[in-house]
Amino acid sequence: MSHLESGLSVALHVADGAVAEVQIRSTRLVQASRLLAGRTPPQVATILPTVYALCGTAQALAGIAAMEAALGLVPSPAQRMARRVLLRVESVTEHAQGILRDWPALLDEPPDLASIKPLRPMVTAAKRALYPHGDWARPGGGRLTIDHGALIEQMRLMTTLAAHLFDGSPEDWAEDPAALQAWMRRGEGVAARLLDRVGRSDLAGFGRSAPHLMPDAGPRDLESRLTADASGAYVARPDSGGQVLETNALSRQSAHPLVADLMTRHGTGLAPRLLARLVEIVEALRELEDLVQDLCDDSGTAAEPSGSGSGLGMVDAARGLLAHRVEIEEGVVSRYQILAPTEWNFHPEGPLRAGLLGAEAGPDLDWRARLLVAALDPCVACRIEVLDHA
Amino acid sequence: MCMAVPSRIIAIDQGVATVEAFGTLRTTSLMLLGDEVAVGDYVILGAGGNFAAEKVEPDVAAEALAYLADVLASGLA
Repeated sequence: MSHLESGLSVALHVADGAVAEVQIRSTRLVQASRLLAGRTPPQVATILPTVYALCGTAQALAGIAAMEAALGLVPSPAQRMARRVLLRVESVTEHAQGILRDWPALLDEPPDLASIKPLRPMVTAAKRALYPHGDWARPGGGRLTIDHGALIEQMRLMTTLAAHLFDGSPEDWAEDPAALQAWMRRGEGVAARLLDRVGRSDLAGFGRSAPHLMPDAGPRDLESRLTADASGAYVARPDSGGQVLETNALSRQSAHPLVADLMTRHGTGLAPRLLARLVEIVEALRELEDLVQDLCDDSGTAAEPSGSGSGLGMVDAARGLLAHRVEIEEGVVSRYQILAPTEWNFHPEGPLRAGLLGAEAGPDLDWRARLLVAALDPCVACRIEVLDHA
Repeated sequence: MCMAVPSRIIAIDQGVATVEAFGTLRTTSLMLLGDEVAVGDYVILGAGGNFAAEKVEPDVAAEALAYLADVLASGLA
């Protein structure tokens, strides 16, 4: 089983009092999606959320979008809206999990296990409230039968979660830089404490790099690059026109007034990247409130997917843009590719490297690097090693 | 990728399960698991493997394990 575990390792080479080289190595199984070939679209839709469990909803939704595009299936607006609800619920719980599990360690505090426990069941409960037959990941659309009472209960739980994360309603600070500063200084809740600590340690701009942010519609050359990627080199180390892009909450929320305000002073540094994740939770909850009002039942499709073609599916997963591309021949998958956000953000020439290169050496270098890794949020464990060549 | 392996519970002792997948045994805490589980059920483990994250239905586990066996056999892992 250990062969299926994978991770990232970052080596910081220090010379003359600064980081002179950053080596990022990945043992992520980025080529494993090839082995989905030979299976039918419903089989693939069953495997994806189980095997890629961390962001299983996003993986399955990217997969069914790609398979529907390949087979010319057009999901109804009701199905698209319900899928958006599931995606956003997963995104909120993934960000919350990172904040409650990983951020305390950066402050030498224990993780908040009692608050983490209800997170994954929220995603399961949302699926059950929309698709009681369990067919939420059916290509073409499952039987969408909404349990409004259960959905309202999930919204209440998520609002309570946000109040716990932010120690009060995020609406109190979500529009106003001065209110945000006051909220951070009050330091109630791990999110405020970490942002405050970063600010007081003069690290708000630490890790900034030239802002090569992923466009909302994805890289223009995405589909052609995937199609041409016979060796798998592109999905392992992607670029767009030679440029490695950053894809995460920052790339999506850079126009938000609070994030934009921080970026004018700190570029893409720690404070804007961390804040963008909080803002994304707030925005997702607002969007969910609207979506939940407009949801309606839909019978979906009972037909077995058949036909041939190729298709691309893209979703905004919590950690960034997730792309799947599939080729189908007479109802059977013949080629399957996944490009995940971690391959952009932890690319050997990407934003993590650019952010750490030239950083001042010192006893807290390991901590600063861990902060930047947490801000960029990889989907696997990341080991950091400082090698002093003095 | 962060690939999760559906693992079969072979023993439970005070909230800690011994699970098996591809002949390897390991222990994992059931503390963060929302569902009730028993010996014979399948769970997937969270990143790092210290905590079971989700219960998986047997037919789904079988489909996923068949795929993961292909990944192991291919040498891509």
